[in-house]
Amino acid sequence: MEREVYYITAAELAKRGKGQIPDELLSSKHLIYSSPATLSFNSPGAQGFGVKRAGLAIPGSVMLLVAPGCCGRNTTMLSKIGGYSERFFYLLMDDTDIVTGRHLNKISKAVKEVADSLEETPTAVMICITCVDALLGTDMDRVCRKASDYAGIPVLPCYMYALTREGRVPPMTQVRKSIYALLEPRKKKPTTVNLIGEFAPFLDDSELYDLLHQIGVKKILEIARCKDFEEYLSMAEANFNLILNPEARLAAEDIKRRLGIPGIELTRLYQIDKIHKQYELLGGALGVTFDDQKYYDSAKKAVDDFTEKYPNTTFAIGECMNAGSFELALALLRYGHQVSEIYGTVSDENFIYIKKIAELSPETKIYTNLSPSMLNYDCSDSVADITIGKDAEYYHPDCVNVPWNQERQPFGYSGLRHLFEELTEAMERGEQ
Amino acid sequence: MKGLLKYLSPFAPDQSGAVSVLYDLGGITVICDAGGCTGNICGFDEPRWFVRKSAIFSAGLRDMDAILGRDDRLIEKLKDTAQKVDASFAAIIGTPVPAVIATDFKALKRMAEKRCQLPVITVECTGTELYDTGEEETYMELFRKFVDPDVKEKENAIGVIGATPLNLSSVTADETIRHVLKEEGYDHVYCYGMGDGLDTLKKAASVKKNLVVAPSGLKAAKYMEKTFGIPYEAGYPILDKKLKKQICDLNGKKILVIHQQVMANEIRKEILKYHDVEVTAATWFMQKKEWKQPQDVMLKTEQGFADYVAEQQFDTVIGDAYLSLALREFDGEFIHVPHFAVSGEYEHDNGEIGI
Repeated sequence: MEREVYYITAAELAKRGKGQIPDELLSSKHLIYSSPATLSFNSPGAQGFGVKRAGLAIPGSVMLLVAPGCCGRNTTMLSKIGGYSERFFYLLMDDTDIVTGRHLNKISKAVKEVADSLEETPTAVMICITCVDALLGTDMDRVCRKASDYAGIPVLPCYMYALTREGRVPPMTQVRKSIYALLEPRKKKPTTVNLIGEFAPFLDDSELYDLLHQIGVKKILEIARCKDFEEYLSMAEANFNLILNPEARLAAEDIKRRLGIPGIELTRLYQIDKIHKQYELLGGALGVTFDDQKYYDSAKKAVDDFTEKYPNTTFAIGECMNAGSFELALALLRYGHQVSEIYGTVSDENFIYIKKIAELSPETKIYTNLSPSMLNYDCSDSVADITIGKDAEYYHPDCVNVPWNQERQPFGYSGLRHLFEELTEAMERGEQ
Repeated sequence: MKGLLKYLSPFAPDQSGAVSVLYDLGGITVICDAGGCTGNICGFDEPRWFVRKSAIFSAGLRDMDAILGRDDRLIEKLKDTAQKVDASFAAIIGTPVPAVIATDFKALKRMAEKRCQLPVITVECTGTELYDTGEEETYMELFRKFVDPDVKEKENAIGVIGATPLNLSSVTADETIRHVLKEEGYDHVYCYGMGDGLDTLKKAASVKKNLVVAPSGLKAAKYMEKTFGIPYEAGYPILDKKLKKQICDLNGKKILVIHQQVMANEIRKEILKYHDVEVTAATWFMQKKEWKQPQDVMLKTEQGFADYVAEQQFDTVIGDAYLSLALREFDGEFIHVPHFAVSGEYEHDNGEIGI
């Protein structure tokens, strides 16, 4: 029997509106197909910077995962990545623990034993807990304070609660808050700025650094570039935070409340005019004017070069990448290309893009990676010259692909330029 | 401290074992979790996931589903999926979440069978046990539920129980087993859960004998013996040639072999073919008393393992090299034999080791 794959056209989805998103696009309404395309999306510890790896962003910290063995299993893979093998420790729970919560009494001793086993005392021990403690209602703040007093080092909670992935504070939002929790009030330096939101540095040639220097900023701090704990602590001296990932909003609010550092949120965009507009708005908020012309020109050249060489290219776009699926699709359509398929997560925030996509390309098919029907996906029924995202590559294995999921984070004009340079290179390789 | 791992990371858990047995059987497998357990299984413990598709899904439980015990929602989701995906049965696998909220799996099974019009099995994994426990229970559920008792006529066939990538550390080991056993004269080799589907499992009563390649298969083999009179034996017919060569150089050594029990015993047998030496078989997993020799040990803790190796002064340890991380003081020879359930390493078709 031939089974169908669920999709909806952009026009139909836009017509339905935010209030009538079909059940097939809502992950809470069906079983979840964790295809190789979506593993990192659905499992908060699985791949890339999941909760476990992200929780180790504080320089010199180690992690103690307190959970049933199953929760730490894939950390074997992380441990094989350079620098992590000696930073993960496990306190395994048994059947009695998960019913009675008696494991909580062992944590202080375990923290001390871990710290004592290391040549250098860790700057902090992150206690990573999982669904079991979410259900037991563990007061982890109290457990961490107790462990901290016992072991004499900072101990912080790190919540890998997959159960709350669509809740008010999802795991990746919570961990972004946790990693700044050790900052304490310091005297402000007006020429210091923090970039917060990511666990790996932004690309070195991002114009963000130059533009901030233009307006007199001398020190730009990112947690991933902090070479030691003292530099991490100096993030408390910043004049303001630039919030570069919406999942860092909670962290920014917490920093503002505790340390009095305000934040301004910027969005990663691939529509060149919107990037320019965003810098204008940032300048307005700071009372300055940014001269971004040369960065604009450089990015525009990369877009134009690709478009001239490969006009009217048809894209299939995933979501496992450093871009918003719908914003990137809209950008590509506005640059004169086609988007046949998007594998993305439809949310209220995306409708602004979906409506515009529907105007430019009403027949673009929108799939959700998480639908069980994606098991039946057959790329012979679709057209794409090139795919962007690891998930899109999975669906179109023989198509030219740009994964665009590098750890070093793209942003602004520099991100746009790099993307189009990679697209050009990929198409050239495909021709060969 | 019991349960504290400072050098190793956790081994494959029971739900990974359950899924491993079910992977090739053509059913819908629902992991009763929030997403993380499925991520661990599909992203790490099931190497076939990146090679061929299988209908494995996460229940996508959210906090309120667990708190309110909304099993009816799970059943509706399963029913919806059964209409979208070809499947001959469904399996619901437990994880820590249903373990904490004490999900009634028997009720879940009855509700699912009624609503979905599909045969359903449930495996009550908790995430705190090891993979072989999950495999054992899954084999038992499958054999009890699906073996057709009316298949009376015997074929010149052998059944293989326990063949999973977690036990055999290869995604193509079933092909090698088939080849070896056909060479021995069997017309058919049925590897339940690796390469063979549910139709083959249904006619499991037709085989002449069962070969148990890992302890997780023993209970099902005993069930088949008791119910259908099919004899079984333990054996591991595909011992690596490179390892056999290395074994030749072990004369006069005191040796510790660490693996799943059937493989460890096979390695010991091979060593004793050539050398009159002392060999101890150890395992972190199931240790069946009928296959155990007096000196054999079951490993429980990381520190206990390190202390035991130091006390016994072994010259050679044969096992997954990942375990050597815990042996800080050991200065003898370590011969690497991958065990996927330990390190997540398996052997590719070309003989190379990968993750």
